[in-house]
Amino acid sequence: MNFLTPGTALIGAAIAVPLLLLLYFLKLRRVEAPISSTLLWKRAVQDLQVNAPFQKLRRNLLLFLQLIVLAAILLALGSPMAKWLESQGRKVILLVDRSASMKTMEADGRRMERVRRAASDYIRGLRPRDEAMLIAFSGEAQVLCQFTRDPAQLQRALERIEPSDGLSKISEALQLAVAYSAPTRIEPLPGAEPAPSAQIALFSDGRIADAEAQVVQRGHLRLFRVGQAVDNVGIVAMDVRRTYERPSELTVFAQVENFGRQPVKIDVRLRLDGRDLHVKELNLGAAAAETPAASRSAIDASPAAQAAVFQLNHDAGGVLELRIDRPDALEIDNVARAMIDPPRRPSVLIVSDRSRVTQLLERAMQGMSVERIDRMGPEEYEQAPEDRLLADGRARYDAIILDNHSTARLPPTGYIFFNGVPLLPDVSMGDPIENERIVTWDQTHPLMRYVSFENVAVARWRAMKLPPYAVKLVEAERSAVVALLPTPGRQFVLCAFDLAETDWWRKIPFVVFLFNSTRYFAAGEGGALAHQVQPGVSIPVPPLRNDGSLSVVRPDGSTDRIDVAPGRIAAYVRTDQAGVYEFKGSNDTYRAAVNLLDRNESRIAPNESFAVGGERVAQAGAEQSINRPLWPYLICAAIAVLLLEWWIYNRRVML
Amino acid sequence: MVTPADAPQSREELLEPGFMSRLEQLEILSRKIFASRQKGERRSRRKGQSVEFADYRNYVIGDDLRFVDWNIYARLERLFLKLFMEEEDLNVSLLIDVSRSMRFGEPDKSLYSRRVAAAMAYIGLCNLDRVNLYAYSDRIVQERAGLRGRRMMQRVVQFLCEAPCAGTSALGPAARQFAIRHTQKGIVVLVSDFFDKTGFEEGMKYLIGRNMDIYVVQVLSPQEVNPPLAGDLRLVDVEDADAAEITVSRPLLDRYKANLHAYCTSLRDYCVRRGANYLLATTDVPFDHLVLDYFHRRGLLR
Repeated sequence: MNFLTPGTALIGAAIAVPLLLLLYFLKLRRVEAPISSTLLWKRAVQDLQVNAPFQKLRRNLLLFLQLIVLAAILLALGSPMAKWLESQGRKVILLVDRSASMKTMEADGRRMERVRRAASDYIRGLRPRDEAMLIAFSGEAQVLCQFTRDPAQLQRALERIEPSDGLSKISEALQLAVAYSAPTRIEPLPGAEPAPSAQIALFSDGRIADAEAQVVQRGHLRLFRVGQAVDNVGIVAMDVRRTYERPSELTVFAQVENFGRQPVKIDVRLRLDGRDLHVKELNLGAAAAETPAASRSAIDASPAAQAAVFQLNHDAGGVLELRIDRPDALEIDNVARAMIDPPRRPSVLIVSDRSRVTQLLERAMQGMSVERIDRMGPEEYEQAPEDRLLADGRARYDAIILDNHSTARLPPTGYIFFNGVPLLPDVSMGDPIENERIVTWDQTHPLMRYVSFENVAVARWRAMKLPPYAVKLVEAERSAVVALLPTPGRQFVLCAFDLAETDWWRKIPFVVFLFNSTRYFAAGEGGALAHQVQPGVSIPVPPLRNDGSLSVVRPDGSTDRIDVAPGRIAAYVRTDQAGVYEFKGSNDTYRAAVNLLDRNESRIAPNESFAVGGERVAQAGAEQSINRPLWPYLICAAIAVLLLEWWIYNRRVML
Repeated sequence: MVTPADAPQSREELLEPGFMSRLEQLEILSRKIFASRQKGERRSRRKGQSVEFADYRNYVIGDDLRFVDWNIYARLERLFLKLFMEEEDLNVSLLIDVSRSMRFGEPDKSLYSRRVAAAMAYIGLCNLDRVNLYAYSDRIVQERAGLRGRRMMQRVVQFLCEAPCAGTSALGPAARQFAIRHTQKGIVVLVSDFFDKTGFEEGMKYLIGRNMDIYVVQVLSPQEVNPPLAGDLRLVDVEDADAAEITVSRPLLDRYKANLHAYCTSLRDYCVRRGANYLLATTDVPFDHLVLDYFHRRGLLR
């Protein structure tokens, strides 16, 4: 048994017990009773007072009962807790899931409330010397309460947790937990007992995307699984693309999946800027009972998941919205939005002082749908006024191809360097390499799609010193030949060779490579149009004309500000809500959508078997050790004793 | 003097007629034979002039010739004197405690004691004994001496009805007064609860010193034997308003009962050692039972 507030009880006892004894001794109100003679009574009292007062106290039943009543009340004041199952750890880390699935409506309110209740019970179950900390996590983890022995503080922190729209990712939370649970001393003192390993109590529905990949290095993880509701239909994927050849034609792909146990018939509605465009009816089968690690193909085969494809003609920007008109337990995945930009054909700038190379490049891009191709010499490029390269804070060109020229002038856009490098830290050209063979190339990368380096002769190239984040696309034995250097706002494709010293330009893959590159630069990875990210992922905001900061209108209408240097790409990280974020510069705006689009979150049924690092985690579920408040029982006992006392007093039972 | 409200008003209240007729069969016995002044119906130790023959003795000069047995003289030619039994009366003194403590209890100790006194007085009157009534608290507050004959029962009833219930009990001064006034020997019946803060020994000394045949009847109410008390109480003495603060508990009650027992035992021992008869009666014992059975068995009545 533990006491939550022993101090209060002790103070109460210090006041009340002497007071009761004092009142007992004073006994100001005595009932007068006539008696024939006090002769014998006085003698009896005198006889008894020989050993007074302690004998008297001990022998007086009524006072004794009063003391019992008082003790019961005082014990109740101390909030005693009975622990039916003892937990051993002295350091406890509470990980509370607050991912989007916590917004699921259960029969008795949001799933978050259940989690909160479970965690609250657990906190009440802590012993007074237990230290606990509270970490809430969705995509990222947040320490809400440092290690403390004050349960009230933990409860307050727990009350503050609100479900976000983010995904469930436990890795950061576990890293935090491990970091915090590390003992303060590296080497335990000789003879000292080893630092107790921390207990990690995880309050979740068990749907955690990266749980399998985690390893609990220190401590013992227990899962308190919460949740019951399963009925949910959600949009799990969405993509919007413009057909390259006909830029006004938009194709919207959506994957809709039923996670409930009953087959459903739903309408998927496509809306553009608030107007309904199309409705598609889908018949979705019931979800398979449990597919722990469902592969992609398995989902496609399942009748529970179906794709909805919409096609429409729209040659302006706007907000596309997909909506499922069916109320279910989780609302947030019934809507997905995508921002579409007006169709734009890429503009290209070629910087070269060699007309032959310029011609080669121009000829290669002839077949591509390019807005325009400009030419400049290297000196002209270096000295060109700012507005020749930038318009409205954005680069005028979608791609700049530099031949034999290394430069530090790098407006935010895409670059292809031939025999040159951007003058960035960690990037430099080294010694020439000759007579080496190209060994491998990455065919899976979007830039290298349908690009082969087979039978390409490269006479020589120069070794490149690249930072670790560079993606090596083509590699020789000792160095990279072609590499992608993704930096915020700029993409650099570095070719270590002189274009004139290869026969690559003669071959079709070179054209495809240029095509891939310009598309990659113009439309982002994969050519998708939609400016959409998942909750918790930062939104890259392209340079907008601004006066040092951008105002952000969040989906719930609240506003925020981010500081950004002019002409630089900003990143907005507080994307915990799903919906449309609007970034306002001085005269132009940029919009981006945050969508859940996550099968793992949409599958709201609690996970039957939860494993971390391949090991099944103990489910605390039923035999969970919680503190039961004992004060009501004590109050009842006090009342019972009081009644007994009353009965004794009235029945004049002398014991 | 205030006549108590619950004091008996009539003879019927004190003694029922049927009970009285049974009392007429009884007589008060004295273990000692006392010399008395008047003739009565009680055989005396002295030889006297009753009709009942007792003995012979030799004639000495000066004897009354009327009592010489001439038949014997005719046969034996010697003078013998016939002796006859002398019949005398008996002094029966009833001392009744009328202090305020006697009004305590249910049934009332006061009424009970008066009934006992009435019964004893009636028996005495029926046997032509000399009945003396004394009511005392800390002194003799009322007395009526020298009642004789059944007709005097009316006076007895009047006395018992009029005796007040007041004052504190102090046997010592009252007994001293009694001893001074009442010089004749006889039977003394003392009816009291003996809750006497000055102690009973002094009073008893006065009575015993007179060489009387003493019957001590201690009357207690059941409430005194087994107090129905509980809680924190301030006990107030009905006589002197003395207060005792107690918290009733089993040990206290046990202690009280032990004390009461010890007190009664000490009184009894005192009486027995000094040749007095002691009788303890509680008011829940029917009083006729007490008189007809207890007193009979103790040898007070026949």
